[in-house]
Amino acid sequence: MYQYDNFDREFVAERVAHYRDQTQRYLAGQLSEAEFLQLRLRNGLYIQRLAPMLRVAVPYGTLSATQLRMLAQISRRYDRGYGHLSTRQNMQFNWPEIADVPDILHDLASVEMHAIQTSGSCIRNVTTDEFSGAAADELVDPRPYCEIMRQWSTNHPEFDWLPRKFKIAVTGAANDRAAIAVHDIGIRAYKNADDAVVFDIFVGGGLGRTPVLGTAIYSGLPVKHLLTYLESIMRVYNRYGRRDNKYKARIKILVRAMGAEAFKARVEQDWVDIKGGPSTLSDAQVADMVAAFAPPARVTSAAASIDLDALRLEHPTFSHWLHHNVGPHQQANLTVVTLSTKMTGVPPGDVSDEQMDAVAQWAEDHSGGEIRISHEQNFVLPHVPRNALFELWEKARRLDLATANAGLLTNMICCPGGDYCSLANAKSIPVAEAIQRRFDDYDYVHDLGDLDLNISGCMNACGHHHVGNIGILGVDKKGQEFYQISLGGHSGHSGHAASLGQIVGPSFARAEVCDVLAIILNTFVDFRLEGESFLSCFNRIGIAPFKERVYVDAD
Amino acid sequence: MSTLIKRSAQGWEISHTDDRPNWKTPQDWQQGEPLLLQVDAEIDARFLQASTIAIDFPAFTDGRGLSLAVLLRQRIKYTGELHAIGAIHEDVLHYMVRCGFDVLELPQERCAETALRLLAPYTHHYQESVEQA
Ligand code: SF4
Repeated sequence: MYQYDNFDREFVAERVAHYRDQTQRYLAGQLSEAEFLQLRLRNGLYIQRLAPMLRVAVPYGTLSATQLRMLAQISRRYDRGYGHLSTRQNMQFNWPEIADVPDILHDLASVEMHAIQTSGSCIRNVTTDEFSGAAADELVDPRPYCEIMRQWSTNHPEFDWLPRKFKIAVTGAANDRAAIAVHDIGIRAYKNADDAVVFDIFVGGGLGRTPVLGTAIYSGLPVKHLLTYLESIMRVYNRYGRRDNKYKARIKILVRAMGAEAFKARVEQDWVDIKGGPSTLSDAQVADMVAAFAPPARVTSAAASIDLDALRLEHPTFSHWLHHNVGPHQQANLTVVTLSTKMTGVPPGDVSDEQMDAVAQWAEDHSGGEIRISHEQNFVLPHVPRNALFELWEKARRLDLATANAGLLTNMICCPGGDYCSLANAKSIPVAEAIQRRFDDYDYVHDLGDLDLNISGCMNACGHHHVGNIGILGVDKKGQEFYQISLGGHSGHSGHAASLGQIVGPSFARAEVCDVLAIILNTFVDFRLEGESFLSCFNRIGIAPFKERVYVDAD
Repeated sequence: MSTLIKRSAQGWEISHTDDRPNWKTPQDWQQGEPLLLQVDAEIDARFLQASTIAIDFPAFTDGRGLSLAVLLRQRIKYTGELHAIGAIHEDVLHYMVRCGFDVLELPQERCAETALRLLAPYTHHYQESVEQA
């Protein structure tokens, strides 16, 4: 993976010093609350319902074992011994002290990490496929381009004060695990007929209160033009995006108001001046960055070759785990392993310091020292040899990281919601837990097959409820917590095009959610054809049968 | 009295002055006069004939003036003095400098020493810029 050079090290050290200066001026009363807010957000510090929250950037979800150990140490030293994996592949700490944050940033810098631009109206951490550089269905490894964009977007002088936050996602695989359709800019990397890497650029996707799928405005952009083209998009947005109403300030509103064609024309008009200019990428620059992401050298296993089939027969839970949590790698002797955090009773995405230390160790033992964070809030070990799988499973099981539910109902995405987040309309974690408790039978959940269930505590949609096959959204009804359910959403990862969920109807009290979910699942089971997934079934039969049963039975 | 931070051959200098240019808006401006632009102004090649140009920031969080400055420098190749005025703040000056501003007019409540200290908190940058060295 990418290693900092002196330039990066010096930059991050200066960023820490700058932020320390800002914090000191704030604590000394020289910066107002409102001024400091803008500055601390650009360094990932929120003030939440109960305490500050620090969001640490995990660029494109990639971590080394050393970095993960540092996160474990930070959680012990400055927090309460745990961290939270966010849907944007970052790590959040819920209990730091404002005055400690500069020291935390200093510790992060010592392992080539930071919290730059993890919040605020600026270009956020670029996200990508958690299996990048490993997945068997990969066309182009997106990480070198993500790192190029990370550097370009870091303290960009022109684009740090945008109308609103700005999120870029990249996929380079046949299955889009980065949900590019619902990002401000989505980028699809692939090779053209001449075997050159090119990009399709989508703009104006997003979730929140106005969910929209992005529109393609450029097909086959050559690598060298990546940054100049992005600059033109950013400039058009920075100049014309609305600043009078934060709910209308995202680029999706601008693209819709102008029309995608007119937006594209504006971008191209701006691009004329800078295309081929100083921000053009040279072949050497790109080649160096690609080389920085060479596969890890030493991915072997000490274990003798093992008979997986025999072990599967002997250990049914191991067999389940292999089936759901272990995927194909580009190299036949390796696999990609998802370590699920979705254990009943634990808030989805929460990981303890002990788990972090352990995952770091397993990464060193079995995955070339590399770890990923997935947008589904799990850890991924991207390069695990086949003959280390059983050993890894046994270790993971002991630390509650071997739940065999990747891709299944109980592997839900869930935002922190009303337990932590001051914007929430309703709690989300207790809903997730209630669902896990109600649907705790492996055979039933396995029989339901691939199913994305996503929960957000409010319209901001951090839990991606719009793109859940089943989406649950916390709403406020006269001061009471209610939940709206939508069906048929999809982020684009498994052969289906991305789609936004349709709302079933009036919302439900928290106590009703599990019963309604049971009706929805039973409806699916009754209607499905052999081998049909929830999403395929929904796409075939539509929302009507679900509606009918949910509201008849609920009366 | 306004406080200016201005680029000179010796580097950046603080000065205090009552003698502000007689800024004109694009509607009543004539060739050779100082021109004041709002952040939502559209670029016009005629601006090259201004004696000096200022961009008025309605809030320090409003990045439109940064893009406008870059367009003046990059698109019409304006090389004269470019003033940042209005609600500017110590912590955004380093961005302004890199977007091509060379005179920064601080509002009264801002601290000139802090501003001077924070003009270049970073030795190196990840991007090309239109900074007027
Ligand atoms: S979706 Fe709403 S409640 Fe959940 S984390 Fe985001 S802002 Fe907070």
